[in-house]
Amino acid sequence: MKKHAILSLVLAVSLVPAAIFGQGKTESPASIANEITVYAYDSFTSEWGPGPLVVPAFEQKTGIKVNLVSVGNGGELLQKVLLEKNNPKADVVVGFANDILHEVLVSGLFVSYRSPEMDRIPEFLHFDPSFTLLPFNYGNFAFVYDTQKIQVPPQSLEDLLDPKWKGKVILMDPRTSSVGMGLLQWTIAIYGEDYLSWWKKIKPNTLTIADGWSSGYGLFTQGEAPLVISYTTSPVYHVMYEDTQRYQTAVFAQGHLAVIEGAGILKSSAHQAQARLFIDFLLSDAQEAIATTNIMYPVNPDTVLPDAFSAAPKPEVSLMLDADAIAKNREKWLTEWVEVMSR
Amino acid sequence: MRNNPSSKAYRTILDTSRFYRSLGVPALVILAFLFILPLSIILSKAFVDSDGGFTFNRLIGNLTSAYTLRILAFTLFQASVSTVASVLIGLPGAYLLATYRFPGKRIIRAICTIPFVLPSILVVLGFVIFYGNNGLINQLLMNLFGLEEPPLRILYSFTAIILAHAFYNFPIALGLISSFWEQLPAHCNQAAATMGAKRWTVFRTITLPRLMPAILSAATLIFLFCFSSFAIMLVLGGGPQFTTLEVEIYRRARMTMDQGGAAALSLLSIVVALVLIFIYSWTQRSLARQEEIQETVQGRLPRSPQSLRAKILVVLYTLFSVVFVLGPLAGIILRSFQAPGSRSGNLEFTVKWYEQLFGIQSQAGSILGTAGTAVLLSVVIATITAIISLIIGAMTAATLRLSKGRANLTMELMAMLPMAVSSVIIGLGYYLISSFFNESKTTGSILIVLAHVVIASPFVLRTVLPEYRKIPFTYTQASLTLGATVSQTFFKVELPLLRGALATGAAFAFAISMGEINATLVLANAQVVTMPVVMYRLIGSYNFPGACALGTLLIVCCALVFSLTESLKRRPHA
Repeated sequence: MKKHAILSLVLAVSLVPAAIFGQGKTESPASIANEITVYAYDSFTSEWGPGPLVVPAFEQKTGIKVNLVSVGNGGELLQKVLLEKNNPKADVVVGFANDILHEVLVSGLFVSYRSPEMDRIPEFLHFDPSFTLLPFNYGNFAFVYDTQKIQVPPQSLEDLLDPKWKGKVILMDPRTSSVGMGLLQWTIAIYGEDYLSWWKKIKPNTLTIADGWSSGYGLFTQGEAPLVISYTTSPVYHVMYEDTQRYQTAVFAQGHLAVIEGAGILKSSAHQAQARLFIDFLLSDAQEAIATTNIMYPVNPDTVLPDAFSAAPKPEVSLMLDADAIAKNREKWLTEWVEVMSR
Repeated sequence: MRNNPSSKAYRTILDTSRFYRSLGVPALVILAFLFILPLSIILSKAFVDSDGGFTFNRLIGNLTSAYTLRILAFTLFQASVSTVASVLIGLPGAYLLATYRFPGKRIIRAICTIPFVLPSILVVLGFVIFYGNNGLINQLLMNLFGLEEPPLRILYSFTAIILAHAFYNFPIALGLISSFWEQLPAHCNQAAATMGAKRWTVFRTITLPRLMPAILSAATLIFLFCFSSFAIMLVLGGGPQFTTLEVEIYRRARMTMDQGGAAALSLLSIVVALVLIFIYSWTQRSLARQEEIQETVQGRLPRSPQSLRAKILVVLYTLFSVVFVLGPLAGIILRSFQAPGSRSGNLEFTVKWYEQLFGIQSQAGSILGTAGTAVLLSVVIATITAIISLIIGAMTAATLRLSKGRANLTMELMAMLPMAVSSVIIGLGYYLISSFFNESKTTGSILIVLAHVVIASPFVLRTVLPEYRKIPFTYTQASLTLGATVSQTFFKVELPLLRGALATGAAFAFAISMGEINATLVLANAQVVTMPVVMYRLIGSYNFPGACALGTLLIVCCALVFSLTESLKRRPHA
């Protein structure tokens, strides 16, 4: 009967072939001379993202092959390269937001590169003075409203506290959503230490605080509430792909918090020259494709955009918190926020 | 020993158990490689302080924080309420399904399994479209009575959480309990009834205690699911006042990059879940020993409802489950056929989302387009997952049935472990695994199937084990004494007795694989694009109706497969 035990073992082993052949086969990146591996967040690589447009264009222009790998979201990108510290595979990482800059720099995995394209990019977008992360697109957090329900939109964060918006605002949880985190930082940028009093007063006006942008914005387009925290550029999607101007951005004169997304080159990359070309391309030729698929503003002012982008008024004041301050206080802000909001 | 004839029977039994014990090995190997290894590496970070030294402070800090304890208490509370609600909703249905034969029976079973395959984001959307302030029910009521404001405010409250959890989970209770109930011998009830016991008394004193193994099985699964719920909690609950441990794990793992903190919190949740699984397994064992299949294996033969009361009950429950389950599903389907008209932005009928789905060519340049390829891939992966999970689950159940000694209890706990671990933490583990492998589509697909097997086989195990325990070991012994080989006994005697449970288990395994997204995204670096992956991407790029269209296709696929397993399930002799 030993036979059976052996049979089962054989079956067991055959069921995990990946565990066996996966290890040895890892090809060293250097063996393919003219290929770079680029890690990007998932929506960058998806069929509807910039990836399918940007990659072939770059390959055609430079003759360098790009292996585009999808890696969750911004935080996961950093986790992945940290986990691979001893066995690095990527050359370029695309998609770190400015609020994670401190952690990226501390990791020490990236190398500084001052692309010549940076000269054309406005000063306020240079979020990393060390040029380890270079900006490729940006957006501003904003409240988007439904014109079928609201004729006169709120003009400021204070306006949102008016009792007439009772149960009409959809927010997102900063513990689980980057947009939620954006709003939290926005209130801190405006009110400083006193930001929690805004949150106390907004409570009765919120319909719900969703776990992520996806569910929150889904509720909004379903008509559950006429106001939602999103981006100034959100209405562009509805104009471009649904041909409707029903959804519009409420512009606040006090300013909007900016989110700038950056890309960086790994120190460990054996293809520094090719990686630099890819970054240059991202900041120049790829700008229109990125803007129209990510629905964000391009960083390069020379970019020609479709008319639909006129639906996204650029705020006069773009606000940003200091990256070190974010890294230092993030945990404390979240704890204070939960304390106030969960009562 | 060898020549002593009296020891032959003894040896046979020993050999048998060795055979059965070895059946559990593949499950353990997969579990160890794909689950326990990466998990222990991630969890060990709970003990590493910021300078890389060893520390207990983080764990102690978390255990003694009032906030952590408060959310732990709430997590347990909401999971308990949701479990009771799901079982209570499932129980009458299980009775009807086990007792009566009626048109639409198969449909009930098939549609009830569907919520299970849907990613939680789509469940949230479906709920909002159906029950929401601007939802179908409220619009209907507003139109009927000419109201200005929505009359029903169901969502964004604790009730909404329970409602959504029940929608998600009562099918587990319905499926597990009814397939167990069908196998219960009817003669005890008949005897009791002959002696003049009232129906309710019969149910309370005879049927209910005998159903306990299945009820507990279902309750444990449901509890573990609700225990780690988080999207539904926040969106439908209304905000941070309803926070589960999972939310806090997510915050540490993904938002504040505090892997140690995330590991400490998940250790806490794993321990709590394991204690529950332990209590459950222990109860289950003592119950199963009382209940063994009698010599005449005569289950209940479902009959057509005779009395008017029975007919009304059947109709009412069918209507209820159809509205309760199909309502939110109908919401998703409806949304997939709507688009805002130009300028006005009012919703109008359209099939453009479907055209778009099939029109866009995937990078691979397939003729089927993105959606077609994803549908095909999802079905193939789910089918393979269901088959392997079925084999692994049944094999592990065969080992665990021997139910002797502490080793088996440990193994049972290990087999249930995947259900007790937060998906965020498993996700971190997957990153670890995937960083060891070459990113190829084939490796990715294999890893995905294996990960799905890890997630799905506890289900199969939980479905099969209670029924397996009912098969007396004397059957196996008798079969061997009569000259059948061990494998013949396993395949020809035992497995046919488990037919119903196996079909239910396979259907759930299929469903779990169809809806799974965490492992799928991480393990193949999104090169293996299944339906939930496409759905997630559509939503990420504002295309909610497109995601609903794909969700509709997912619903249709699953409904087809579930009706197929239902027809396989009919017992050979019935």
